[in-house]
Amino acid sequence: MAKQHGLIAKFDTPADIMHAAEKVRDAGFKNWDVITPFPIHGMDPAMGIKRSLVGRFTICGGTIGITTGMLMIWFTGGSDLSVPLMEGYKLIVGGKPYFSPQFAFPVSYELTILFSAFASIGGMFILNKLPQHYHPLLKYKDVAASSDDKFFLYIENEDPQFDEEKTRAFLGELGAVEIGELEE
Amino acid sequence: MSADFTPNPKKWLTLGIAGLAVSVIGFFVEPQIAAWSYLIGLIFITSIAIGMLFLVMIHHIFDAQWSVIVRRQAEHYMAALPYMGILFIPLFLLTYLGGNEGILWLWMDQGASLHGHGTVGTDVLYQKKTWWLTEWFFWTRAVLCFSIWIYFGSKFRKNSFSQDEDGSPKHTFSSRKHAAIGLIAVALSWTAAAFDWIMGLEYHWFSTMFGVWMFASAMRAALAVMLLTIAFLVAKGPLKGILNTKHLHDVATLAFAFTVFWAYITFSQYFLIWNANIPEETFWFNDREQGIWWPISMILIFGYFLFPFLYMLQFPLKTNFKSMTFMAIWLLSMNLLDVFFNVLPSLKDHHGEPFQMFSSVTNIIWYLSAVVGAGGILLWAYWSSYQKTKIIPIRDPRIQECLNHNH
Repeated sequence: MAKQHGLIAKFDTPADIMHAAEKVRDAGFKNWDVITPFPIHGMDPAMGIKRSLVGRFTICGGTIGITTGMLMIWFTGGSDLSVPLMEGYKLIVGGKPYFSPQFAFPVSYELTILFSAFASIGGMFILNKLPQHYHPLLKYKDVAASSDDKFFLYIENEDPQFDEEKTRAFLGELGAVEIGELEE
Repeated sequence: MSADFTPNPKKWLTLGIAGLAVSVIGFFVEPQIAAWSYLIGLIFITSIAIGMLFLVMIHHIFDAQWSVIVRRQAEHYMAALPYMGILFIPLFLLTYLGGNEGILWLWMDQGASLHGHGTVGTDVLYQKKTWWLTEWFFWTRAVLCFSIWIYFGSKFRKNSFSQDEDGSPKHTFSSRKHAAIGLIAVALSWTAAAFDWIMGLEYHWFSTMFGVWMFASAMRAALAVMLLTIAFLVAKGPLKGILNTKHLHDVATLAFAFTVFWAYITFSQYFLIWNANIPEETFWFNDREQGIWWPISMILIFGYFLFPFLYMLQFPLKTNFKSMTFMAIWLLSMNLLDVFFNVLPSLKDHHGEPFQMFSSVTNIIWYLSAVVGAGGILLWAYWSSYQKTKIIPIRDPRIQECLNHNH
């Protein structure tokens, strides 16, 4: 048999998995997750998951976006600045000043949105440790049921508190209908 | 539910009447300033009630779950619409009994002289707009607008309150159908009101964005009042344990969304006019860069957009009743300043210069009296309606989903 990755427990109802998650959270496990066929409201607090940090990436992206837009338009139309490969060229368009935040705003605003979106997607990938093309869970015999009508909870070997016998007994106490092993 | 909290609508009625009485004194002491202040107060308070009407219609058209208990509060505010209609009558009287037909809307006085070029009657820009800016048509439109608002307002109220009695889903279906038609009817009539009451003060001006601006303004005012209302009702007890921070988060998110929407509309209006640079349009902003209006316009950009934007971007602040109470008061004050900014510079002196907001200290009395007067009437209508009905729509088909709202 291949190396063991963790223990997986099967539950029949959303309520069972929710209570189980609360107990696993309170027991202080770190490397564990819950697999359900649909989002269960209240699962985040039940698992002790804090609010996502994606917003931090978004605000950085947005700030860089608006700065880029303003600087780009000022550089191309309102400055004589010379940098490698590029040169600013003062240009009057439509009788307006060389540079004015008014006309730079639509472009800066679009770049704010674009960079925010990029940063959000990038941040989501980083925080979720993506891309991850394979997960031991996919080898589990019953994995298809997790997208149908069964609810799963697994605890990884890597968890500091993990102990083959104790954890198996603990999962049994949670009301799991079946306990299996995940292979690496 | 708490039994120890009993509202006292009469207190608000007294305050409203006192405010209006001061305004009436103003009509004799300083007729023009008092009349313009009264118009500002009326528009500001009416926009709150109209915003509530929009909120209710949006709720019904989307068959929303989360906002059922919030909707009931909006329904109470809609009770003020008929009184706002009554408060519009003094504007008619001021125009025809005050001896100066152009006291508010200069174009009503064909003989009024314009600084630098003849009179209103000989002004080509007025002549081209006479098909819309005709007195009988103007007053008919005002009556029509209020009729539409009062009809839809009372219809949604009646449906919702009847459902408390019999629990029949037919009221929900009726409201949904009315919301579909009402959204179009109220959007058009509110746009007409914006054109007539505010843009009509400066008939030279052109802006197709103005109706949408007025919509954004009404939504922001209504959402700020809604935030204050729910925070108050939760703190005082009646909604404690019923309305949770998830509901608050949703209302706050709407307030945030309309902050961005208002900025988008306001900037677009400015930007198109700035870019095209046509004198018939730019003068409106030039007037608003004179004297005190320049710092006020800066306060609006940073205080009515940037600060609320950055503040409400933050999840912890949006889910806390105290921090949103502060923001709601801030938004409401800025909203009032914005109405002043849009209305008052259209008042010109003999040299064609825009009126300066703080040119005289006594004017502040008239500014406040109208807002307090109409605001008192609004709150009186709210608490009177509040007393007569259940605190939440107990038999709404979506009430259970709303009470369990948890995401």
